[in-house]
Amino acid sequence: MTDSKYFTTTKKGEIFELKSELNNDKKEKKKEAVKKVIASMTVGKDVSALFPDVVNCMQTDNLELKKLVYLYLMNYAKSQPDMAIMAVNTFVKDCEDPNPLIRALAVRTMGCIRVDKITEYLCEPLRKCLKDEDPYVRKTAAVCVAKLYDISSGLVEDQGFLEQLKELLSDSNPMVVANAVAALSEINESSPTGQPLVELSTSTINKLLTALNECTEWGQVFILDSLSNYTPRDEREAQSICERITPRLAHANAAVVLSAVKVLIKMMEILAGDVEFCNTLSKKLAPPLVTLLSSEPEVQYVALRNINLIVQKKPDILKHEMKVFFVKYNDPIYVKLEKLDIMIRLASQANIAQVLSELKEYATEVDVDFVRKAVRAIGRCAIKVEPSAERCVSTLLDLIQTKVNYVVQEAIVVIKDIFRKYPNKYESIISTLCENLDTLDEPEARASMVWIIGEYAERIDNADELLDSFLEGFADENAQVQLQLLTAVVKLFLKRPQHTQGLVQHVLSLATQDSDNPDLRDRGFIYWRLLSTDPAAAKEVVLADKPLISEETDLLEPTLLDELICHISSLASVYHKPPTAFVEGRSAGIRKTLPARQGSADEIGQEATVIPNQESIVGDLLSMDLGATAPAAPLGGPAATSNIDLLGGGLDVLLGGGSSDISTAGGAAPSTTGLLGDIFGISSSPSMYTPPKTCWLPAEKGKGMEIHGTFSRKNGQMSMDMTFTNKAMQAMSGFAVQFNKNSFGVSPSGPITMTPLQPGQSLEYSLPLNTTGPVQRMDPLTTLQVAIKNNVDVFYFACQMPIQILFTEDGTLDKRVFLTTWRDIPSANEVQYTINDLNGNTDTVSNKMVMNNIFTIAKRNVEGQDMLYQSLKLTNNIWVLLELKLTPGVTTATLSLKSRSVEVAPYVFQAFEAVLKNC
Amino acid sequence: MGMLFSYFKSLLGTREMRILILGLDGAGKTTILYRLQVGEVVTTIPTIGFNVEQVTYKNLKFQVWDLGGQTSIRPYWRCYYSNTDAIIYVVDSADKERMGISKDELFHMLREEELNDAILVVLANKQDIPGCMSLKDVHQALGLEALKNRTFQIFKTSATKGEGLDMAMEWLANALKNRK
Repeated sequence: MTDSKYFTTTKKGEIFELKSELNNDKKEKKKEAVKKVIASMTVGKDVSALFPDVVNCMQTDNLELKKLVYLYLMNYAKSQPDMAIMAVNTFVKDCEDPNPLIRALAVRTMGCIRVDKITEYLCEPLRKCLKDEDPYVRKTAAVCVAKLYDISSGLVEDQGFLEQLKELLSDSNPMVVANAVAALSEINESSPTGQPLVELSTSTINKLLTALNECTEWGQVFILDSLSNYTPRDEREAQSICERITPRLAHANAAVVLSAVKVLIKMMEILAGDVEFCNTLSKKLAPPLVTLLSSEPEVQYVALRNINLIVQKKPDILKHEMKVFFVKYNDPIYVKLEKLDIMIRLASQANIAQVLSELKEYATEVDVDFVRKAVRAIGRCAIKVEPSAERCVSTLLDLIQTKVNYVVQEAIVVIKDIFRKYPNKYESIISTLCENLDTLDEPEARASMVWIIGEYAERIDNADELLDSFLEGFADENAQVQLQLLTAVVKLFLKRPQHTQGLVQHVLSLATQDSDNPDLRDRGFIYWRLLSTDPAAAKEVVLADKPLISEETDLLEPTLLDELICHISSLASVYHKPPTAFVEGRSAGIRKTLPARQGSADEIGQEATVIPNQESIVGDLLSMDLGATAPAAPLGGPAATSNIDLLGGGLDVLLGGGSSDISTAGGAAPSTTGLLGDIFGISSSPSMYTPPKTCWLPAEKGKGMEIHGTFSRKNGQMSMDMTFTNKAMQAMSGFAVQFNKNSFGVSPSGPITMTPLQPGQSLEYSLPLNTTGPVQRMDPLTTLQVAIKNNVDVFYFACQMPIQILFTEDGTLDKRVFLTTWRDIPSANEVQYTINDLNGNTDTVSNKMVMNNIFTIAKRNVEGQDMLYQSLKLTNNIWVLLELKLTPGVTTATLSLKSRSVEVAPYVFQAFEAVLKNC
Repeated sequence: MGMLFSYFKSLLGTREMRILILGLDGAGKTTILYRLQVGEVVTTIPTIGFNVEQVTYKNLKFQVWDLGGQTSIRPYWRCYYSNTDAIIYVVDSADKERMGISKDELFHMLREEELNDAILVVLANKQDIPGCMSLKDVHQALGLEALKNRTFQIFKTSATKGEGLDMAMEWLANALKNRK
């Protein structure tokens, strides 16, 4: 015998046995055999070799056997694509079977067999099934179209299945309608162009709404989901859709409720104009959302993730429902954390006391993760709800007293943020923080603490010692801490150059020579070069003002939020990620977004706020103090001012534009004033009212330097007029000046060039100003924070700018434009003041005002009252329109102000009155 | 004794006879199958795959497999060969051009070991079509004279008219009964 015997086995094996059993004549035996095959298949054995034998069992009148064979086919057709063709004829026959269950089974299985070779043979049976007399078959066939579209979209379009599907939308059976809708939306979503292949029309929407009440819960979900993709023609249609959907909110199925919520929120966007309707709708939305929270934890979690989005989009809906988000002791941790997040989002001045006491409670629980998050939440509350900051800080201090390690660490991390939000307010607690220095072992907490030490080095007497102690283990620290240490030491050096030189050299060499981390090395080198070439520049860079942080930093970016709102009740709304981010092979398509609302510009302004905040996140991430030195457009600044910007700019365009050029070049173009002066027939070189100098910096605070000052505007040039007095015993020199960011972007045009100031001497200095500096809204608006440096120290003070210095020379309007603008500004933006002790008539007033760049547009006499219409423009393009009503011989007059940015009104009035009384 | 035994055998109908209907596409296999089963002409579409039906003829039970004749399906005929008692090979008598292909397929099939004992019935179908080949011509064109060691017979039929099928089945039933 040769060795070939080893290769020929006598054992027939399991497959062979099954094969012969499958070919058995007895039906029972056959069925048993197929069951065995399916069993092997489900446990993962490869029984694809039996394909022809199993397929041969396919033509049977036994429904059970047929189902088993179909199951086998769905699994193995792909692995035997050629052989799969043998099954086609059976499908064709089964689709004409008298039993509707078999017809439906066949068409369903056909859709699952993804073999290109046979799909074309399946079109004909599918077409028949779509017109089947039995609704069960039709509804199954509808889904099959979507499956076929996935295999071969061209085939579906060519064979007219889309039209057939559309016809099914008007089917008499609601289940068929629901499935047709589901199939269509799936096809629309996978359309390669991203454009929906089938648009829903008003009449189909009506049919869907009718079917909605009658079909199963999952059918309702399909219908609601496709309604959410529909944009109604007008508000009336949107309203009627809302009304017909609202009863779904009471459904027991959470998916139905969430889908209904999705549609309603989308419609509210369209109906934003109808405040009353939206308010009633909002009220109806709260109870169903709250009810979702009484189901099992998993459903609760999904509901909470969705609510988290809803709360960000429409905070009003749940603002009175804070209590339901309070954490229960037996909630799973994932529900607890999510509830906590929503609590913070809902926190407001009205409920903050309640929230804080809850959070304090949570901070004493046992679950470490939860406690940390609770502590962090307290910090976020402090940042979000300003009036509560004080209480939050004291709560945090209480928690630090507990000395529980992770609580302390977390508290320090959030206190750092509070410091940034409220500068110069809570620094008194630094000493308490320093006591806990040794217990910090987590990088984030250590980094935060180091940042605090660096930032407030001038107030911490032993800052150098503290930092020095950190430096001992520099190499072992986390990169985050190393970076912070480097920055902190440099800050310390810049603030207290005496005795810290060694320290800074030490840290720079550690960072640049002993470290492998490129970030650290780079930052080290940057500091090194800055310090060695220009210490003043280093100061500007390292100690620059940081942008304020605000609570919006953890909000989702608005476009993403809108997209996610469109995906409520799907995985996307649980992940908080767009589907494109996690669904593989999904064509980029068109991202869903909410319809544009016809709201006012205010809302646009609000939405824009997040963008500068993100900038501050970046600043945070880098923890470099460079953020502030980034060139900010004069008006592109943070929150409030961007609002003004939009409005001012808008108005500017409205008025025919072009004026902004003149205004920025205002100082350099005195001829403009002359020109205007000519037009108004008054002598040139008008002198604007300049308030008397006041004391800005008393000698005792300025280490002997006293500053009196005021602001003026002459020939379009703003300046800050100061009198410096040296009351000290030594000469002062090396003057420099810097402004903090302010509402109007006012900044010095150049450095101070002042001769040294001898003891006892007084010098006048006029500092030219421009309005191209960084913008940040101040309160009060006209506040200007100034830093003046001399060879002794740096001194800080704040002063108020008289707003008239910001009135530009081109603040006059055409009569018609004035009239339309006056009408366009809503009456809510009108403010009235009463002026007492007025002397003179409209002419004298008009003459006084024009010298202060308040221009008279028209005069009228109505029923014995003189009306004076005037306009002015601020340097940041905010227009203010005035109407002065006075009766000759009476000393009381009424001044009405109208402006898109009504917050400037009180200052303008102040200026108006000052000009009247003092000129 | 042998006679008696075979009588009982046929009476009890112990085993279903397994019969394959083969032939090129469009020869009329499916029509013949349903003519045999329900005795009517059904409208058919090209069989992509197979049909299987039970046919009772003179107390004999046949399990009749009608396999699609398209070029793409012919390779899978062989999956059905095992345990086959008889083959009904259908030829379109009017399709003179493809007679050669039909012959090749037939002899290719008969070479299979599994079919050594299978009885062969050749049906020269579509005899109702004017101008079709006669029985003798078909016999010659298929080269049936070359068949040795095979029980076989050729019949002229018209499935749509129902002519000739009875005779063929009668012969087949007898041949199967008389098989040892």
